[in-house]
Amino acid sequence: MHELVFRVAVVVLAVSLPLWILLSVAVLGGRARYDRRQRIGPLKPNGRQVDRLLKRALGRPRTEWGEWRRISAINRLARMRHPATPHILYHALWDGDPKVAGAAIRCLGALGDLWAIELLVAALRGDRVSRSRVAAQLERLYPEPGFLFLPLLRDPDPAVRFWGATLIAPYEALGEIDLVNLTRDEDPNVRAAAVEALGHRPGEHAAEATVALLEDPAWFVRVHAARAAGQVAGVDAAPAIARMLGDERWWVRTAAKDALEGLGRAAVPALVPVLSSPDGFARNGAAEVLQDVGLVDHLALEEPQSPLLARIYEAGGPKLREAAEERTARERRIREEKAA
Amino acid sequence: MTNLLAILVGVCLGYLLLSNAVYVVLALIGAVENGVRRHESEAEDYDTLASSRFTIPVSVIVAAYNEASAIVSTVTSLLDLDYPEHEVIVVNDGSSDETLERLAEAFELEPFELFARRVFRTEEVRAVYRSEKHPNLFVVDKQNGGKADALNAGLNVARYRYVCGVDADTVFDRDALLKGMRLVIQDPGRVIGVTSHLTIAEDPERTMSAPKGKRRIDRRPFVAYQHLDYLRAFLNNRLAWSRLGFMLCSVGAFQIWRRDVLEELGGYARGFTCEDIELTFRVHEHFLRERREYSVLCLPDNVGTTEGPDTVRKLVSQRERWQRVIDETVWHYRNMWFNPRFRSVGIVGVPFYLVTEVLAPAVEVLAVVSLGLSLVLGLFSPATFALMLAAIAFMNASLTACAILLDDVQSRTYRSRDLARLLLLAPLDLFLYRPIIFWARLKGSWRFLRGDKEWHKFERNVRSQAA
Repeated sequence: MHELVFRVAVVVLAVSLPLWILLSVAVLGGRARYDRRQRIGPLKPNGRQVDRLLKRALGRPRTEWGEWRRISAINRLARMRHPATPHILYHALWDGDPKVAGAAIRCLGALGDLWAIELLVAALRGDRVSRSRVAAQLERLYPEPGFLFLPLLRDPDPAVRFWGATLIAPYEALGEIDLVNLTRDEDPNVRAAAVEALGHRPGEHAAEATVALLEDPAWFVRVHAARAAGQVAGVDAAPAIARMLGDERWWVRTAAKDALEGLGRAAVPALVPVLSSPDGFARNGAAEVLQDVGLVDHLALEEPQSPLLARIYEAGGPKLREAAEERTARERRIREEKAA
Repeated sequence: MTNLLAILVGVCLGYLLLSNAVYVVLALIGAVENGVRRHESEAEDYDTLASSRFTIPVSVIVAAYNEASAIVSTVTSLLDLDYPEHEVIVVNDGSSDETLERLAEAFELEPFELFARRVFRTEEVRAVYRSEKHPNLFVVDKQNGGKADALNAGLNVARYRYVCGVDADTVFDRDALLKGMRLVIQDPGRVIGVTSHLTIAEDPERTMSAPKGKRRIDRRPFVAYQHLDYLRAFLNNRLAWSRLGFMLCSVGAFQIWRRDVLEELGGYARGFTCEDIELTFRVHEHFLRERREYSVLCLPDNVGTTEGPDTVRKLVSQRERWQRVIDETVWHYRNMWFNPRFRSVGIVGVPFYLVTEVLAPAVEVLAVVSLGLSLVLGLFSPATFALMLAAIAFMNASLTACAILLDDVQSRTYRSRDLARLLLLAPLDLFLYRPIIFWARLKGSWRFLRGDKEWHKFERNVRSQAA
């Protein structure tokens, strides 16, 4: 036993001691090299190195490690704006490997040339790459690609129409009619994206289309419609949005609250009738919005005996009242201190 | 008697060699995973992610119980996160100190009524506050119900599809959420949970006040050893588990979950000493039982610094709690032990926990007793004994050096001289730090057997800003 333990200990020590030293040297040496590189900045590759990068960027590695070397080569060549970059990125984009395609998408976005934007839009039409990644790059290239999104709104593929409507949202002058048409699309995702985009476009057609979608059978369309209607139709849409405080879906009720809060005190006339709604959610929601737009504090400070305040307290419950009393007590103290 | 002793020593040394062989294999797999994630991260376009409206919004939930000394810096770091859309929900779990007052003062809180969903039953919510300065900060003040209950109260208020539960004593890097959500954004249908690497310090604000690359590691070896412990746990073990598909501990200090998964599972469980490891086991059990595709991942990115105990008593209190919750969870999910229905989780992950965590204190006691007796009875010469200890110490030191290497390659956080100090401290870990952990684990196992489920929260360190 003693002999066996002795031998095992010697073997383990003979392996682990040099390993510890080796790893320690690797830590400190690697760090020193990294610090030096940080000081002198990236080196420009020479001709032979560029050839090697080109070979790697266009190669088909079999290992995961090789894949990352390829991606690194693609990134470096794109950063250098090597003349072969369009060719390399085209191949990388349609490579089939999501990691390589992802790197190509990022490089195209960073380049931002017209050919790069067109390639990204083409990638959005295909379904071989992550469309959300492509969209994120196209979004950051605002305002260059706007006109290229218009054909996407009429694409036969609903996923492409969805991304077209999503991406065109910040371009207020583009695509209003197409977006209004898309609010009647058979795909609810497209309707949701279209109504969200219309939220950025003040106008009669946009207002009509958004208010119409407040009754959409898909709950997430109603969510976007509520937010958009508040932005586009304003106070005119307040009664319709206020009705949604009693929607069966929590997300819709929350969107309605957000939209009404966005309208400020102008939403008050639409909210007062909801305080007497038979639906508890609607009553709570109306009271919460009236609290958030500052009406509760105003009444509590200026007209504490107001029947409207009593109705709000009744609809909102004791906690709403307690919170309001705490806030107003503080406000009164501040006023008194100022007056003194 | 001598034969029996020899058998016992053989069993203990066999266990030691086997478990270390497993740790070496895990470290190698962890190194591969680290390399892959590093390459991915280098190729990632963080600038676009940080500004895109397509980046998925996140609700960050902080459960706080008597965290007056730490809460303001934690919340400040969370509000300062570089992320396009996130809200911070602090749940004050009936603190008896000044946690709420400190928050109210620092962030100008005002009480408001908020009609949130009540998806999870929790202790009574006393009030909800909003910040005048930060519209994305909410504070929920509730009756004490434990950390799981507080997190459930936060979930009720959360508005976004992903939630990130964090500890109230942790200070985060600005890119923490972006790095944590990177893989979720790539595949939200599959990636349902993410955790990431955290480091430890006596005073996290002071450590985090320096930029990456110039941060210091606490001068006290006691805290430095805890730092090494974290490095090994995350970079050698959890990364490998993540690659092998059985990431069984999403740490409470930084755990991202898809909210619909938590709703489906009924939220955080109150019946365990801690909530994090149990939830991770439950997620695996649920998804594997229903044969659904999913991923729970651990990332090597250093996302923040959490407060480590600064005295032996506090460390023992913390680690005995960790041991208890591991015992509770592994015992609760005993249906998964060696069960092929739960794939690598049942065949490798849970048995790994059983052998290296649950049974370890018993084997360690056996080892100390049998080796001590062997030495006294002359079964080993003192020279052989010393050689054996040196072999174990350097085996551990090699694993530690591997973790330091992986961490530095990934995040380049600390100064070279601090790395050198950590490397020199590593061989002494066995003699200076492990005995404390051994005692804590033994105590934790004993308390598990007695059915103790108290939190035994340790008193917070005195911070530079609070002092």
